[in-house]
Amino acid sequence: MSTSTRHRSRSLGGRRRLATAAVAAMTAAILAACGSGSGGGAAAGDSADGSSAGKPVPGGRLKIAFWNDLQACIDPNQVYWIESRSLDRNIADSLTDQDPKTGKIVPWLATSWTVNADATEYTFKLRDGVTFSDGTKLDANAVKTAYDGTVALGPRSTLGVTYLAGYKATTVVDPSTVKVEFSTPNAAFLQATSTTTLAVLSPATYKETPEARCAGKIVGSGAFTLDSYSAAKSAKLTRRAGYAWPSSLVANKGEAYLAGIDVSYIAEDSVRVGSLTNGTLDIAWPRQPISSADQDVIKASGGRIETRALPGISTNLYPNVTGDRPLGDLAVRRALYKALDLPSYTKTIFWDGYPVAKSPLTSTTPYVADESAKLAHDPAGAAKLLDGAGWTLGSDGYRHKDGRKLTLVALTQAGTPGDQLVQDQLKKVGIDYQIKVVTASQFTPTAAKGDYDLVPGYLTRADPSVLGSLLNAAGSTFYTAKFSQDAATAAKVSDLFGKGLSTVNAEARGGVYQQLQDYLIDNGLVFPIADRVQVIGLTKKVHGFAWTSESFLRANDLWLSK
Amino acid sequence: MPDNLASADLMAPDLLDPPAGRAAGASGDAPAAGDVTEAGEAAAHGPSSAPGGESEAGEPWADGRWAAWRRRWHGAAATLTPLLRRPGFVLAVLFVAFVILSGLVPSWFSSYSPSATSPTDKLRGPSTSHLFGTDELGRDLFSRILHGSTLTIKATSGAVLIAVVAGLAIGVIAGFFGGWVDVLLMRIVDVLLAIPILLMALTIVTALGFGLLPMAIAVSVGITPGFARTTRAEVLRVREQAYVEAARTGGASWSRVMLRHVLPNSWGPVAVLTVLDFGAAVLLISALSFLGFGTPPPAAEWGTLISNGRNYLVTSPWLSLLPGLFVGLVVFSLNHIARTLEEAQR
Repeated sequence: MSTSTRHRSRSLGGRRRLATAAVAAMTAAILAACGSGSGGGAAAGDSADGSSAGKPVPGGRLKIAFWNDLQACIDPNQVYWIESRSLDRNIADSLTDQDPKTGKIVPWLATSWTVNADATEYTFKLRDGVTFSDGTKLDANAVKTAYDGTVALGPRSTLGVTYLAGYKATTVVDPSTVKVEFSTPNAAFLQATSTTTLAVLSPATYKETPEARCAGKIVGSGAFTLDSYSAAKSAKLTRRAGYAWPSSLVANKGEAYLAGIDVSYIAEDSVRVGSLTNGTLDIAWPRQPISSADQDVIKASGGRIETRALPGISTNLYPNVTGDRPLGDLAVRRALYKALDLPSYTKTIFWDGYPVAKSPLTSTTPYVADESAKLAHDPAGAAKLLDGAGWTLGSDGYRHKDGRKLTLVALTQAGTPGDQLVQDQLKKVGIDYQIKVVTASQFTPTAAKGDYDLVPGYLTRADPSVLGSLLNAAGSTFYTAKFSQDAATAAKVSDLFGKGLSTVNAEARGGVYQQLQDYLIDNGLVFPIADRVQVIGLTKKVHGFAWTSESFLRANDLWLSK
Repeated sequence: MPDNLASADLMAPDLLDPPAGRAAGASGDAPAAGDVTEAGEAAAHGPSSAPGGESEAGEPWADGRWAAWRRRWHGAAATLTPLLRRPGFVLAVLFVAFVILSGLVPSWFSSYSPSATSPTDKLRGPSTSHLFGTDELGRDLFSRILHGSTLTIKATSGAVLIAVVAGLAIGVIAGFFGGWVDVLLMRIVDVLLAIPILLMALTIVTALGFGLLPMAIAVSVGITPGFARTTRAEVLRVREQAYVEAARTGGASWSRVMLRHVLPNSWGPVAVLTVLDFGAAVLLISALSFLGFGTPPPAAEWGTLISNGRNYLVTSPWLSLLPGLFVGLVVFSLNHIARTLEEAQR
């Protein structure tokens, strides 16, 4: 829900030749094993085993720096901020897990489950011997408390609202069996049970106020416990002794190797990269991709880069078609697709080889469709469409109709180079793309009034139904849904989202979501700009790194060499 | 004007020593800065001490005015000639003139459009085709700096203009009337001086919104107290002068005395402060635009350019350093000009 905001040295101290050689050999082995965007925990486990550095060494605290913490909340049930969710993944466990490579749901706290034919009843068998870090046992009652508690949060749980859409009740069948019922079909719920948002916290946690939970009063069953959390300043995690219930995707079946994790927040990219290369940090984890130049700096210092596209909604622009606005005309919206040169955008803002946006969903989202033919750059076609719509080129280089200039106001919190490149691309077909920079506090009120022509937005979830959070006017009150479609279009869109949520069969679901993505692009409801790749820098000390299916950190297999 | 000249001879005829002054000015001894500037003053006021006073009384008005202008012109030339022998001063003036000219007509100095992107040319180092290199979108940095000058000069001039007008008004009123008016105004100025300028500017810009005019207003509020204080100090000195008393005794009204006698004789140091504060205002405007409060993209003030480049500081240092150097040189030049003028006034 956060809109894209943008913000960003060298040492190798070999004392003796022998040591240097050993380090070099080790680095080479690690780079070979897990250099190019390895996905799952199993793969990372292999790389740890395969590296010449040998067996994982327990101990050491991982120092990781994120860029910021604007939501200032750590409660997994409430937070949408992806950096906090990365930490939550290691503090709190969920009923299921999702394989990052296949998107398949696999057992975690639930050993097995059944789903009824119309996706309204889910029955989970719980794992035995799981305890929260306060000593409470995980049982059906705890799951019920957790899900009821998340529903009770209402809109405070930005993601929970859609994850639990149509939630009726959770019933305790027996101490190790729990049944979740929905009044309307929710086929995406099984994936939702694998997310941090539906992580199961200790029953005692739900007695705390939502504010206290946000500030860190949370107890989970994860491989780490939260010692302290100071919003946007620091967080400290400590290994949970006796942990023995990781998901089946994790190689290390026991306690984590790391003694703990120290989190800091560094807003300035150059400072974060510098801290990584001089060894103050073990992992630099920014929101925006590390620039190719900075990646070279990190590699030159002996470190390495891990990448994985965040699943969910790409960096998109959403139109305002209401009132007398230029984008109310479908021809203008179609011309906009043709005016945008996405491959050139990707190459310039990121680097050659960065995935070009092909759909409103990112490349790692299950059921993503390839809409690239409809998103192809065709300035001549754009000019033709605009001419046809009555917007003729004036002497100032911009298009006009009835004395009105073709001006599109794009709302943003920072005029990034990306915004300026889009501006220049659109200028070439005569569209005056104005970047309206507002403060973070002004952004939401301005957008909620519909005081824009285009507004950015993205969201992370490894299920295509996530698009509904921003575009399903029937289920979301978000401004992107409200202003991007007229009533007739909205009815059709809600219908498709509804179909997607009531279809359990994987193949049939794929068909529905293909249809939905086609419809969104054909009708100009969303303008994909860029895929979202999580790029992080690691020092050569870090081994066994793994991504979760939502491109979060999974620290169970992580270990630090001395 | 005649009043002014008349007041000049009333002011301090005994201080003026035209022959000695001229000699010093003609000899042009560089180290004897005091002598040189004294010569300047002498040249400016000296001749007026004899016939200037009569212009009000006897001579036809137009002739007197013409003569006064001629004398002024000669005076100014005599003041400037020794200054022009200082290479640092000349360089500073030339650089500032270049910046102002290039800000007014950037197309004379660069053929590139400041907003035209060229993805294939991104992050090129300085070369003959791109004097200052290109940025992350392949835009010519030199052209962006020159077009940034336009915005920065507008914002700076606006800020200084507001500050001078407001500062002079506050200072003259406080100094001239004294008493509780003075106390009230000066305590307000004290409060303004106690708040860090940048902090106050940030608050004002946040309240008014982003853009050139809000930035100019924010900065002017920050530098007005300095002008008010300086003006007040001068007014306090001038209002005790004999010619002011003479004017009052002669039956001139308060407003006439204030506007015709006090104000024109108080703004010498204020003029120097104006040039000096131009430098400070450039820095403040750049700081605000560095923090992202400037005009919306693609337009970029100098501060915005420095800010955008800092993500590439390790790999493409020119992106931040060249705009930074440019701002540094402008401020340095302005300060140097102000200092030289200050010396010349003494």
